[in-house]
Amino acid sequence: MPQASNGDARPADRVGRALYRVSDILAVIGGLLCCVMATLVTVSVTGRYLFASPVPGDYDLLGILGGCAIFAFLPYCQIKRGNIVVDFFTTGVSPRGRSMLDGIGSALYLFIAVLFTWRLYFGAIELYETSEVLAVINFYRWWTLPFSLFCMVVLIAVIAYSFFRDIGDVRNADAAAGKTNRGE
Amino acid sequence: MQPPGKPTGANDLMSDLAIGGAGFGALFILIAFRVPIGVAMLSVGLAGYITIAGPIAMMSFLKTEMYWRFSAPHLAVIPLFLLMGHFAARAGITASLFRAAAAWIGHHRGGLAMASVGGCAAFATISGSSLATAAMMGQVALPELRRYKYSGAFATGALAAGGTLGILIPPSIVLIIYAVMVEASIVSLFQAGFLPGILAAAGYIVVIAIVVRIDPSAGPAAPRTAWPERWRALRDIWTVLLIFLVVMGGIYLGVFSPTEGAGVGALATFLVAVTYGGMRWAGFVDALRETASTSAMIFLILLGAGVFNAFLGFSELPLATADFFSKSGLSPYVVLFGMIVLYLVLGCIMDSLAMILITIPIFWPVILALDFGLQPDDLKLWFGIITLMVVEIGLITPPVGLNVFVINSLAKDVPMLDTFRGVVPFLLSDAVRVALVVLLPPLSLFLPHLLAN
Repeated sequence: MPQASNGDARPADRVGRALYRVSDILAVIGGLLCCVMATLVTVSVTGRYLFASPVPGDYDLLGILGGCAIFAFLPYCQIKRGNIVVDFFTTGVSPRGRSMLDGIGSALYLFIAVLFTWRLYFGAIELYETSEVLAVINFYRWWTLPFSLFCMVVLIAVIAYSFFRDIGDVRNADAAAGKTNRGE
Repeated sequence: MQPPGKPTGANDLMSDLAIGGAGFGALFILIAFRVPIGVAMLSVGLAGYITIAGPIAMMSFLKTEMYWRFSAPHLAVIPLFLLMGHFAARAGITASLFRAAAAWIGHHRGGLAMASVGGCAAFATISGSSLATAAMMGQVALPELRRYKYSGAFATGALAAGGTLGILIPPSIVLIIYAVMVEASIVSLFQAGFLPGILAAAGYIVVIAIVVRIDPSAGPAAPRTAWPERWRALRDIWTVLLIFLVVMGGIYLGVFSPTEGAGVGALATFLVAVTYGGMRWAGFVDALRETASTSAMIFLILLGAGVFNAFLGFSELPLATADFFSKSGLSPYVVLFGMIVLYLVLGCIMDSLAMILITIPIFWPVILALDFGLQPDDLKLWFGIITLMVVEIGLITPPVGLNVFVINSLAKDVPMLDTFRGVVPFLLSDAVRVALVVLLPPLSLFLPHLLAN
């Protein structure tokens, strides 16, 4: 889509700004990884047809790079609130109610992200201990996992931030309602 | 009763089937309450998994699920196609496509609207996103349509409908996801989608011709373009033609895999965006950011769908549903019709991708168990194209027709209701096309069969 953000302004407070910055850098790194992937397959295809020598292990490498990119993309999508929600049934709900529902969503996501990160940590140790390598080239699978885990930690921080923002919005709505009382 | 290999459950109070059904209920409740769709699928999937398979199985499942899901080489095609689309959007391609089409047919009544649809179709052959197609073509074509006094409803309706071609004509992210879910070949699906996609564009052009015949003031003719200028305009579209021939031609003919095609395409559109589109560092980084946002959104839902489907598999709900319908004695076409209606209803509230990920695990086994007189591989393709066309209708129907919103936001003076009114004739053409593809399987199967040899 041509114009990136849809009005969801960048966070203004310090924590939010810092998290935004880190997520943004990760997103661009992930994007650059995708460019590397594009170059890799182009070189491999050219090599295959012109010189009968593709890049060895290109298929698996593509998966590895793509995986890193996706991990790197997750925090950015969350801080932009880019995950799709259905708001068909809640259009009539007050802003306060909506923030409350968003808070529930953030809490669920937070729980899931922590669970996955915790398990991924053990998955990484397992891959390290079994020293699994890619089929064709000597690339240890565990090599990219510290990066993935780092992205997950950033993701957790961003979701926690979203959660507190949602709670803050509910409180603000309460405070505003106490003064002016124009809820719906 | 327990089939071998299935983890024994901790809960005997409820049958696994009932847990599966309850899972669907819970999923829809969470989604209705604004929980992001991927998160909702993960929450219900994990809860169901732990109920049926137990915590130990789940803990070991989670250790590697995320890593393998994200690092699957066959899914790398998704970010690459997205990247290609975001570069293409900055390559100035839509402008030259519209100008060329307008130069040739703009002087006919409704000709500029037809040119927009034609431009959308051409852009769609290298872009997999409906919203991007609608937005990019809308920015270029809408001012022209308005300048030549096209009615607001007609102009915006034509562009919103034309935008759906972005996904109907391969490459198409939705088709890739479908292919992953039913384990079909992406290439065959792309081939299968080509003719119905072209049919869609032709149908929209026929609709425009009919509308301007009934109401000539809706789409007046623009002045005729001189011949030298027409040829010059045509020359400007060589970049699209080249990218299409290399990327999609290569994929259709099996020269390289869709992933490789997407990678080559991303590089090619990058070069065009830099040389012709005037893309510089800021635009480049923005394209990366958009790729980041869309990819993360899609993969979170994919992750959720993976967990949710693992749970559904344990509950045996898909098999039981398939069994129920195959023994019900209902005509297969009645069941298919019911699914289409359900998609249209869901399309009113949900995004097409999420719809496919939620429904296909149940719908596909049902379709497979019914007798449509097609081989399973053909059935996959045929049903995939039908599903694709039906879920895309949700993009242009109220209340959340995203394409309509995108186009309408570009035309500030046209009320939203007018745009929805303008879309109605195009919906009729959609209905006719869905019926044709359902009744004439060769429409979708001819090309894959031809190219398979």
